[in-house]
Amino acid sequence: MDSSIRNVGDVMVLGGGISGIQAALDLADTGFKVFLVDRSPAIGGKMAQLDKTFPTNDCSMCIESPKFIECSRHPNIEILTYTEVESLKGKAGDFKVTLIKKPRYIIEDRCTGCGTCVEVCPVKVPDAYNQNLSLNKAIHIYFTQAVPLITYVDPDTCLYLQDEKCNICIGVCQNKAIDLNQREETIQVEVGAVIMAPGFEVFDPKLRNDFGYGIMENVVTSLDFERILCSTGPYEGEIRRPSDRKHPKKIAWIQCVGSRQVLEGGNSYCSGVCCAYTQKQVILAKDHEADLEARIFHNDIRAFGKDFERFYQRAENLSGVEFIRSYVAVVREDPETKNVAIRYATTDGGVKEEEFELVVLSVGLNPPKNAEELAKKFGIELNEHGFCNSNPLNPIETSRPGIFVSGAFQGPIDIPESVMGASGADALCSQLLAHRRGDLAVDRVYPPERDVSWEEPRVGVFVCHCGANIGRVVDVPAVVEYVSGLDNVVHAQESLFACSTDNAKQISDQIREKGLNRVVVAACTPRTHEPLFRDTCREGGINQYFYEMANIREHCSWVHSKDPESATQKAKEIVRMSVARASLLDPLKEYELPVNKTALVVGGGVGGMTSALSIAKQGFQVQLLEKGEALGGMARRLHTTLEGMDVQGFLKDTIRKVYQHPLIHVTLHAAIRDVTGYVGDFVTTVESKGRVKKIQHGVAILATGAEEYKPDEYLYGENENVLTQVELGERIAQKDEGLSQAKNLVMIQCVGCRNEERNYCSRVCCTHAVKNALNLKALNPEMNIYILFRDMRTYGYREDYYREAADRGVKFIRWEPDEKPVVQAATEDGRSVLKVTVADPILGQRLELDADILTLSAAVVPSDDSKELARFFKVAMNPDGFLQEAHVKLRPVDFAAEGIFLCGAAHYPKHITETISQAYGAAGRAVTILTRDSVTASGAVCEVDESLCESCGACISVCQYGAIAFHETEKGKKAMVNPVLCKGDGLCNTVCPAKAISLKHFTDDEIFRQLDAA
Amino acid sequence: METVAPLEEVLDLIKETGGESFKYCYQCGLCDVVCPWNRVRDFSMRKLIRQANFGLTQIETEEIWRCTTCGRCLQKCPRGVNQIEVGVSSRRIANEFGVFPTSVRAIRGVSSSLLAEGNPLSEERKNRADWAKGLSVNTFSAGMEILYFPGCYLSYDPRLKKVAAATVKILNKAGVDFGILGTRENCCGESIRKTGDEECFSRLARENIKTFIDSGVKKILVSSPHCYHTFKNEYPEFMVHFEVVHIAQYLFELLNAGRLALTKGYDRKITYHDPCYLGRHNGIFDEPRQALKGISGLELIEMPDSRKDSLCCGGGGGRIWMETPKGERFSDIRVEQAVDVGAEVLVTACPYCITHFEDSRLALEDSKEGGGLEIKDITEIFQEAM
Repeated sequence: MDSSIRNVGDVMVLGGGISGIQAALDLADTGFKVFLVDRSPAIGGKMAQLDKTFPTNDCSMCIESPKFIECSRHPNIEILTYTEVESLKGKAGDFKVTLIKKPRYIIEDRCTGCGTCVEVCPVKVPDAYNQNLSLNKAIHIYFTQAVPLITYVDPDTCLYLQDEKCNICIGVCQNKAIDLNQREETIQVEVGAVIMAPGFEVFDPKLRNDFGYGIMENVVTSLDFERILCSTGPYEGEIRRPSDRKHPKKIAWIQCVGSRQVLEGGNSYCSGVCCAYTQKQVILAKDHEADLEARIFHNDIRAFGKDFERFYQRAENLSGVEFIRSYVAVVREDPETKNVAIRYATTDGGVKEEEFELVVLSVGLNPPKNAEELAKKFGIELNEHGFCNSNPLNPIETSRPGIFVSGAFQGPIDIPESVMGASGADALCSQLLAHRRGDLAVDRVYPPERDVSWEEPRVGVFVCHCGANIGRVVDVPAVVEYVSGLDNVVHAQESLFACSTDNAKQISDQIREKGLNRVVVAACTPRTHEPLFRDTCREGGINQYFYEMANIREHCSWVHSKDPESATQKAKEIVRMSVARASLLDPLKEYELPVNKTALVVGGGVGGMTSALSIAKQGFQVQLLEKGEALGGMARRLHTTLEGMDVQGFLKDTIRKVYQHPLIHVTLHAAIRDVTGYVGDFVTTVESKGRVKKIQHGVAILATGAEEYKPDEYLYGENENVLTQVELGERIAQKDEGLSQAKNLVMIQCVGCRNEERNYCSRVCCTHAVKNALNLKALNPEMNIYILFRDMRTYGYREDYYREAADRGVKFIRWEPDEKPVVQAATEDGRSVLKVTVADPILGQRLELDADILTLSAAVVPSDDSKELARFFKVAMNPDGFLQEAHVKLRPVDFAAEGIFLCGAAHYPKHITETISQAYGAAGRAVTILTRDSVTASGAVCEVDESLCESCGACISVCQYGAIAFHETEKGKKAMVNPVLCKGDGLCNTVCPAKAISLKHFTDDEIFRQLDAA
Repeated sequence: METVAPLEEVLDLIKETGGESFKYCYQCGLCDVVCPWNRVRDFSMRKLIRQANFGLTQIETEEIWRCTTCGRCLQKCPRGVNQIEVGVSSRRIANEFGVFPTSVRAIRGVSSSLLAEGNPLSEERKNRADWAKGLSVNTFSAGMEILYFPGCYLSYDPRLKKVAAATVKILNKAGVDFGILGTRENCCGESIRKTGDEECFSRLARENIKTFIDSGVKKILVSSPHCYHTFKNEYPEFMVHFEVVHIAQYLFELLNAGRLALTKGYDRKITYHDPCYLGRHNGIFDEPRQALKGISGLELIEMPDSRKDSLCCGGGGGRIWMETPKGERFSDIRVEQAVDVGAEVLVTACPYCITHFEDSRLALEDSKEGGGLEIKDITEIFQEAM
C-alpha cells in the first residue's frame, strides 16, 4: 500500500486499554479507519493485568483477549504499539499527528513470537506485567496473549544495548527479526478526530512510605494481588506471599490507600472501584483457601453499582471474613515470620492490634503519569485532580473540539463506564465525521469456503492449558496423546493459550495444511470464546459451524482442582464426546437481513433525547417515543446537579434541539402496544391519543428511566414536613419560605432500598443529599442540617463535595440497619417538630434531633413500564426490575437480543452526567448496526420437516419468540420457522410429538453421538 | 443507651475558641489508631472530636486533658481535622468555667507561678540566671550575634541546668558572640497555651516580645523545641518575626561552617529520639542526625517509631505538669525501645523529653533490665566530644 494513504485515517485512538479497544472496534465497525496507538508493547491496558472482574467474577483476560484479536483482524484498525505521540496540530476534522515509534529492536513483521530468543537471553529482569513479582528476560513478549505477539528488548538491561556484550538472541532467531541497532521511527498520520483513552495509574504507596510498602515484603498493592491471584501471575495462580512463598492464611485489605484524603501526595477523591475489587479479591481468595481469614479495613463501603450490594453481602457473609470500619496503621513487621502487624480502632473495644501474613493495599486510581505532557501536546485542559477536564453536559468532550476522552482518563471509573464512554466517543467522532464515513474503510475478506461435503471427517483438536488454569490440574499432554488416537482425529496439539493470536493463527494454518474439516478446541466456555474460534475456522477456509468447543476449564479443572487424576480422565471424556459430535456437524448458512435505517428510542428523558440527537447527527432517522405530555423525564423535577449544572437550562436547550432536528420525530403520549420483528427489521405499534401507528425500525434504544420511591415510612404522606429528596430539591428551587426559615433539617438516607425488599443501593441519593444540603446552606448558612446515613457513597469527585458539606457545618450521623432512626411528631416550645432519634456508634449515645423538616432519600425504583417494555422487546431484567445488559463489563449498553440497546436509569439509577455518557454509548452501538446494509443471524436455528409435521401447533405455543407460525402448503397447514426470530433454544423440539422440528447444529444425531461417546 | 440532644451553645463556644475543624471528621478512627495513649490505655480522640461535633464535650472529665499534642493524629488525619486545636478549645472552655479534674489542678499553680515569676516551677525570677554563674555568659546586648534563650527548665531544673551549661560551653568554644536575657527572660508560654490558658500565654508572649525588641534581638537560639515552636509559629500572631534556631540545628550549622572543632570523638552506641515539637511539628529530623554523625566513633541506631512517627515522651500539651500514673507513661516504652535496639545512650533535644526519660530510666533500673542506659541532650554529647 502507498505509505501516504496508509497514514491517512479517520480517528486516532490513544491508549489501547479496554476503552481504547472498544472505541476502535466501534469506529471500525461503523466505517472509519482507526489508528490504535499505545505506548506499551501490547494492547490491553490495566484490564489485561486483572485476574477476574466484579461482580460476575469473569476471567478478565478471557473476556478481553477476544477483543485483542478482533482488533488485530479488523481491516480498519491499525495497531501501533510502543508508540507515543510527539505532537498534534490542526483542528477538528483535520489533525496532523506525529508519532514516535520507540525501538523494540525487533522487526515486527518478521517476528513470529516463537520465544526462542527469550529462552536463550541470559538477562533476568523483573517482569513489569507481573508487577515485578516475578522475573522475565531482557527480551520477552509482554504477556502470553499479547497483541501484537512479538518480543521487545528492554534497553536498560539488554547486555548488547548497555555495552555490546551479548547478542546471542540474534543468532538463534531464524527469521532474522532482531535488530539491536534499531532506531526510533517518526510516523506522521492524518486523522479527523482523536479519542484519548490513556487510562490511569495506580496510586504508588511507596512515594509516601505509607503502610510499609516497598519495605515490608508481605505488603502488596491490590494490583500486585491481582497478579498473585492470576494463573499467569508470579505464582501460577496459587496465592502465595512474597517473603517465603507460603500460602497466607490470614490476609488484611486496607481500603482507601491514596484516596479520600486531603493529605499531601494523596487524592481527595474516592477512586470508586476499590471497594468492589476488594470484595472480589476476598471472594476469590476464599475460593483458593477455604479456611482463609480475611479482614477488610474500610470507612464507608461504596457498593453503588449494579448488583454491587449483593456482591458485598456475598463477600461479607463468607466464613472468616470480617469488614471492620476503621482506617489502620501498619505498625511493624515481625523480623522472623515477616508477618505484618496492623492497628485498628473499634467503637467499643478500643484500639486493637492484629498480625497478618499478607497485607493488601487497596490503592486508588491516579491520572496517567504523563497526563500533563499529554494535555500540553493535545492542547486540552486537565482538572484540579490531573485528569481530563471534561464538560459535565458531555463528559466525553475535552476542552478542544475534535478531541474526545474515554475511559479512566475522564476520572476514576470502572470498566463498564469506560466501555460506555468508548462507544460514546465513537458516536461523537461519528457525528463529526459522518460525511466521510466509509471513504477509507474496507470490508473484511475471508478466504473462500472449502466444500468438504465429499470428505471424511478430519478433526483437529487443540487442547488449551489456559496458562495454569487448566494445565495445573489437567495433564494436558496426556489428553493430547489420548485424543490423537480417537477416530477421525488427524491432528492434536496443546497450546498455552488457545485464544492467543499465534495459536489462532496456528489453528487456521493447520486447517489448511492438514485439510482439517472439523475443529475442536478443548478450553473454556463458548460463552466468551466461540465467536473467536468460529472466526478462526472461517480464516482457515471452512464453515464456521464445523467448530466445537469442549469445556475442560469451568466443567473440569476449576471444579476438580483438588483431584488432578480424575480431572484428567474427565477431560479426556469431555474431549472424546466433543470429537464424536464434531464429526457429524453440518455446515450452516447464516441469514443476511437487510437493515432498516431508522432507530426507535423509547423514553424522552435526558438519556433518550441524548441518544436520539446523537443518532440523528450521525445521519439516521429517529423515532422518539415519550409516554408523558412533554419531553424531559425525571430531569424535569431536578434543578441543579452537585457540580452546579443548570438542569432546566440544559433540558430546555436539549428539547429545542430535539424538536429542531429534521431527522427526529417525536411522539408524545406514546404507549407501545406491540413489537414484532428482529434486528434490522422491527415493527413497533404505538398508540398516541387514540391514534395507532406502526413504526418500522432497525434498532431500538430503551431509555425509560426510573422513578422515586413513594415512602410509606417515617410519616411520609402523614406529615406535611416530611419530604422526599426530589421534593426538597423542588422547594429549594422555588426558594420556599417555610424551608428557608427552618432551623433544623434532618435527612434520612437509604429509605426504601438496601433492604430485603430492594436489595440494592440507589447510587444517587448520597450525592443528592449533599447537593441539597449545600444548596440549603447557601440559602441559610445558619440552618442545622443532619444527614443520617449508612455509608456515604459519594464516589469519585463527589467526595470533595461531601467534605465541603462537612466544612459548611452539615453533620453526618451513621446508623446501622438494626437500629434505624425513629421519627415522631411532637410539639416543642409551641412549634410542631419531628423528633428524630438515632444512635451514634462513636458517641455511644442516642442523639435526639428536633427537625422542622424531615427529608427522606427515597430509593430510585424502576418505572412501571420498564417491565412491559422488557416483555415487548423480549429483553431481560435483573431481580430488582432494572433492564439487564448483555454483559455487565463489556457490553454495558447492549442487550443479549441483538439490535436493542439501553441507557439511563432504566439500566440502573445514575446521575445525569452518567446517563448522558451512556446515552452516547447506546447511540454509538446502535449506529454500528444502522451503518450496515445487512446483518447476519445465526445458522443454528430450528427447521421443520413438513412431511412429518402434524400441524398440532405445540411448537408455536411454546416458542417464546414468536418465531414459528403455520403456513399453507399443498398438504395443509404446516409449522414454519422464521429463522431470523428463532433463538435456537430448542424448546419446540421437546414438545413436538412427531419429531418434525429439529434444531440445526444441535440435532438428535449430533447429541446422541456425543452422549454415546460419554 | 442514653439519649442526648446537641448543645448548640457549647458548639458555638468550641467554634469561637478555635476548635471548628472537628467538622471535617468522618470517623475513620485513624487518630485513635496512631495515638500513643492507646499503647498504654484506652483513649478515644475520635470520640472527643465526635462529642465536639454536637457540643457534647465533657469539660469536667480527664479525657480532654490527656492529649499531649504530639501531633501524630493531626499528621495522619485524612480529613484535615486539627485535633490539637479542637482539644485546646475544650480546655479553654474548661478554663473559662474553672472546671479542672483532680489530676489537672496543678496547672492552676503553674499558671500563677508563670504570671508572678515568669516560670512554671514556682521558682523565683531573680534566680533565673543562676545557672550561668561561672560559665562566662554575658547579658545580651544589641549587636550580638545571637540571643541564647535557655527557657525555664534549663534555667531552674538541676538536671537540665547541665544542658544549659553544655550549650554555653559549645557556644564559647565555637566563638559565638551570644548573650542571655537573664532575669528578663520569661517562659515562652507554649505549654500553658495548650492547657487552654490563652490569657497567660498572651501575657508571657507580649512581655517576651517587648524584651526582645527593647534589647534589639534579631536571632534567637533555643534549647527547647517548645520555645522554638511558639517563637517561630505562634509569636507571628503578634505581628513580629524573629529568626529562631534550635540548638540541634545550630550545632549542625556550626559544624558545617567549621566553627566547631571536635577533637575527642564519642565511642558509644546512641539512639536519637525526635522530640514532637522539633520533628513532627517543625520538620527538623535530619540536622540533629547529621550533626551527631559528624562525631567520630559515634554509632547512631534508629529506634522503631522514629522521625515523623516518633513516639511522644508524654510531656507536651501541659502534661509535663500533670501526674501520669505508672504503667501509662509513654516514656517508659521509649526507653525500653532504646534499650531494645542496643543503645547505650538515648539522645534527644528537648527538656521535657529528658525529664520524662530520666524518670523512666530510673524505673527501668529498678526492674534491673537495661540498666546503664544514659539519657542525654544532644549538647551533652558534643560537650564530651569537643
